[in-house]
Amino acid sequence: MRPLTMPRTMAEEVSRDAEIAAAPPMIAIEGVSQIFKTAGRREHVAISSINLSIADGAFVSILGPSGCGKSTLLYIVGGFVVPTAGSIKVRGKAVTGPGPDRGPVFQEFALFPWKTVLGNVIYGLRQQGVPRAEAEERGHRLLAMVGLKGFEAFYPKELSGGMKQRVAIARTLAYNPSVLLMDEPFGALDAHTRTRLQNDLLDIWERDRKTVLFVTHAVDEAVYLSDKVVVMSRSPGRIKQVIDIDLPRPRRRAELLLDPHYQKYIVDIERLIEDAPEEAVHP
Amino acid sequence: MSAVAGEGGARRGFSIGPFTPLFACLGLLVVWQIGAMLLATDSIPTALEALRAVPDVLGSRDGLVNILDSIRRMAIGLSAAVVVSIPLGLVMGRLRAVAAFFNPILMVIYPVPKAALMPIIMLWLGVGDLSKTLVIFLAVTLPIIYHAFEGAKAVEEKMIWSGMAMGMSRVEILARIVLPAALPEILAGCRTGLVLALITMVTSEMIARKSGTGNILFNALDMGQYDTVFAMIIVIGALGIVLDAAFDRLRRLLVAWAETRQDIPLSFT
Repeated sequence: MRPLTMPRTMAEEVSRDAEIAAAPPMIAIEGVSQIFKTAGRREHVAISSINLSIADGAFVSILGPSGCGKSTLLYIVGGFVVPTAGSIKVRGKAVTGPGPDRGPVFQEFALFPWKTVLGNVIYGLRQQGVPRAEAEERGHRLLAMVGLKGFEAFYPKELSGGMKQRVAIARTLAYNPSVLLMDEPFGALDAHTRTRLQNDLLDIWERDRKTVLFVTHAVDEAVYLSDKVVVMSRSPGRIKQVIDIDLPRPRRRAELLLDPHYQKYIVDIERLIEDAPEEAVHP
Repeated sequence: MSAVAGEGGARRGFSIGPFTPLFACLGLLVVWQIGAMLLATDSIPTALEALRAVPDVLGSRDGLVNILDSIRRMAIGLSAAVVVSIPLGLVMGRLRAVAAFFNPILMVIYPVPKAALMPIIMLWLGVGDLSKTLVIFLAVTLPIIYHAFEGAKAVEEKMIWSGMAMGMSRVEILARIVLPAALPEILAGCRTGLVLALITMVTSEMIARKSGTGNILFNALDMGQYDTVFAMIIVIGALGIVLDAAFDRLRRLLVAWAETRQDIPLSFT
């Protein structure tokens, strides 16, 4: 599917494919279900038998209406929530709890308000025993990368929403997780800020191509950023369809907006979502 | 950005300058002076008479020793309460089972005036420092536990998750995330505790008279030295204001990072 940039011999091609097949995927979600007990002692099936395999270096979005359990799935991969059934494997190892191999970025930013911007970014590094000087040097580099040079000594309360999320991204990148878990990270931002952060996230991602699991309800955001879009349906949350986004990288927003392929992906996915009858959300 | 914080007083229609509390104290003294002059009884000295007796109390060796005894007991009782209450409150706030165990116990103890336990404690531990310090400790413990508990409960889940993803253990989460995040609430509890400690300090000395501010006060009362009685009340009041103001200074310094300014009216208890 993917256009080859370099001609390769058949033998090379085969051996490479074999290698990919042999290596375990970065994330393997196997038969994961999550059932919550509601206040009325009824059982609410948040997500039901999810199977998903995510390759190393892939940017995968989970897209769905609110209440489809997409964030729950992300929290389960993060190890913050224990699934009712099924298992998660990261690099072939079963997930039993949170760990620095999976770095979360939340819609609520969840910065440490008592720490400065730099203090937030180096918190994880200091935790891991990195000496202060080294951690700070790395912190300065990361803050420059997310466009916050000069804001090192500010406190979170002094920052705008977009800046807070930049700090949160730098804080997570600081301890170098293999997987980024992004839970509607730009959901609380205005349209302009959201666009800028999307562009910057892609730039950052292009540098080292970490595996990203990105939860969103915005179709254009999912198509713009991702290699794969996992469309979920609601009540119970199931995978409706997985769509490969075959658009060239690095992606430029201006070019994409004029690209009929990009437009078609958006229209197709929107149709797919609208297909589902609008159900009442269970309380 | 932080300029917003400076405008708090304007909302109320008049601005609170640094001298407003001073005017209030002065007003109180004037009312006292006039009232005492009108009533003209021995048991109510005028404000000026009482103020004149203040240097006598503070100047005498005996007076100073008694006051320092009081402050020492208060400091020890308060510190011990802080050391015990904060960890307990934080753990209660994060572990539902611990809260379920301690909450009913604390609910029973909370409304009991701790000074009322003084006679029993005296029976066990005598009338010395230990009993009085223990009573102060008991009085201060509950509000601090309660505030630490509420503060820990309110810590944003995602903040804790962020720490867990960094590989922090449960104890590290408690010490390095829950504690600082709950600090504004904890310090509000400590401020209540400080005022309660002062009240209990005087009350305990009133019941077990041996030394301290309460001791001077009630000895003077017995001997009919009313100017000394009121001078001591002024000294205790001033001590309260100074300690409270100093603590609030410290509190603001420690939680300047917090989202909202927490203005607690002076001596609201």
